[in-house]
Amino acid sequence: MFLALRDLLFARGRFTLMATVIVMVALMMVLLTGLSSGLVDRNISGIRALPITHLAFEYDDKPTWSNSMVERAMWEGWAGQDGVIAATPLGNTMFNARTSGGEPVTLALWGMEPGSFIDPGADIGRPIGDDPYGVVVSRMLVSDNDVAIGDTIVLDRVLTELKVVGLLDAHDNIAHTPIVYAPFRLWAEASYGPPGGPPEGESLPDILYDFATVVALKLEETTEIAAIDEELFTVALDKPMSFVASTGYKAERDSVRINQGFLLVIATLIIGAFFSIWTIQRTGEIGLIKALGASTGYLVRDALAQASLLLAVAVSIGVGIGYALGDLIVERTDIPYVIDINAMLISGSLVIGGGLVGAIVAVRTIARIAPIIALGQLR
Amino acid sequence: MTLAIDSVSLVLGDGDQRVTALNDVSLAVKAGELCAVMGPSGAGKSSLLAVCGGLLKPTAGRITIEGEDMTTLKENERARLRRERVGFIFQQSNLVAALTAMDQLLLMSHINARKPDRSARNRAARLLEEVGLKHRAGHRPHQMSGGERQRVGIARALMTEPSVLLVDEPTSMLDHGRGREVVGLLAKQTREHGVATLMVTHDQAMLPWADQVAEIEDGVLAAPAVQQSRGRA
Repeated sequence: MFLALRDLLFARGRFTLMATVIVMVALMMVLLTGLSSGLVDRNISGIRALPITHLAFEYDDKPTWSNSMVERAMWEGWAGQDGVIAATPLGNTMFNARTSGGEPVTLALWGMEPGSFIDPGADIGRPIGDDPYGVVVSRMLVSDNDVAIGDTIVLDRVLTELKVVGLLDAHDNIAHTPIVYAPFRLWAEASYGPPGGPPEGESLPDILYDFATVVALKLEETTEIAAIDEELFTVALDKPMSFVASTGYKAERDSVRINQGFLLVIATLIIGAFFSIWTIQRTGEIGLIKALGASTGYLVRDALAQASLLLAVAVSIGVGIGYALGDLIVERTDIPYVIDINAMLISGSLVIGGGLVGAIVAVRTIARIAPIIALGQLR
Repeated sequence: MTLAIDSVSLVLGDGDQRVTALNDVSLAVKAGELCAVMGPSGAGKSSLLAVCGGLLKPTAGRITIEGEDMTTLKENERARLRRERVGFIFQQSNLVAALTAMDQLLLMSHINARKPDRSARNRAARLLEEVGLKHRAGHRPHQMSGGERQRVGIARALMTEPSVLLVDEPTSMLDHGRGREVVGLLAKQTREHGVATLMVTHDQAMLPWADQVAEIEDGVLAAPAVQQSRGRA
């Protein structure tokens, strides 16, 4: 580091410029990571919050939340198998609706058996179950639409009236839509029943309550999932895989990853180009130091130490600024953004790694510089 | 003999571009002796320094430094020999732009994979004092005159206690007065540090300091003449 540090100080103008570029790249990586986590959160936070190990979808090559429909035989079938700790139906239907104030909202109505292992309860107010029309709503619906306990939300088209009895602190969403937790029967009636509910004095046929979207499962590790799937004509996905079944999740995640990939390639190329030019500018000096007896290894180690130091400092600054900016975004805006320290550190490490690859490619030229150039006449 | 050059030839280039830079050159320099090699541009002076320092491998012949045959060594072994036993002084001084005078000397310890300890710092300070640059220890090359830079080059070459000093046109960028000053210093350091110094120059005025003078032309070295009047120019 003897030469490296002194070069950094001596050519501080050039290195500051380069460091600024690296800071920006690291900053963009961190912001993209926060945004991607935010998007993911809006898409699957409701699924993530479920205390499940697996979800069983109706059998399909590519099972999705929007296409899956499971029947009673499936969830009762799962419940009776060895290694199944719990199995319960979960219904998911998207509705347009209006709040008490007349505001239009889009919501995901989730139907579940009150008191089942996936029932989230309520942080404020009462959980679902006491009132057949009572629902618990997630924080996002409350903060965006001024919904409060006691309000009524009317579902468009079917005209079902949902009574808000409880609130959850979490921002539970699926496919960017806030979740409204409802008793299973209410969900089934709203999803499959006639508009306005059953005619007065009549009840709806029992078959209406024999369908759901997925089976929520809590399984032991040894459960023979494939065999049960085959028997019941379902496909059980573990929790992370079930995210992919949510509309848009994969596309969102992949587009952000492509951006991050490009940023990494750009970082690698910029840093490689910088150190290539820097090495070429130092050709005379490197020849001289070799003539004085320095080995190529000494000079390469020194150059890489310089690149590492530059990268570490610049990336730390970029990640630091990214953290502060992320905090502002979360505090002051509605942009979906999640501060994830681990993801930020991984992003920073990736920029350092990419930069080092660029630097390693660049400083290989040191090996080709001949010490003879120190004797000017033979140049 | 500290530096022995024995029937060395060097052919550069290929095919039509082949040039015989050195043709059967023999020369010996003892410890404490300054040998000047004179000749016009392109006579083979720098080639001679390059093969003595292991920067080029001679086509034929042998070069030994304190008995170690340099011509049989691989490139990294030649680099090792250079940093341990050879001091190079280049024309235009060739200092590292980012380093202060003191750091130019301490770099030599680093190259030898040794962190400069107190004794290295003391030696560097003493050498800078010997070349009259104690007050310039914290200055970078662009803050020094040509003569001062060349004197830093001399101090740097002596930093590793070499047995051989190879000096390339030390006065080419200096006016006459400063040139005399630098060569006088070089002769004094050669004696005091007991090194074998091989200096190539085209400057006749620098010859009185040399113990022996050899003329080179078209790669052929004439037998050196021994001088008695060293240091009295």
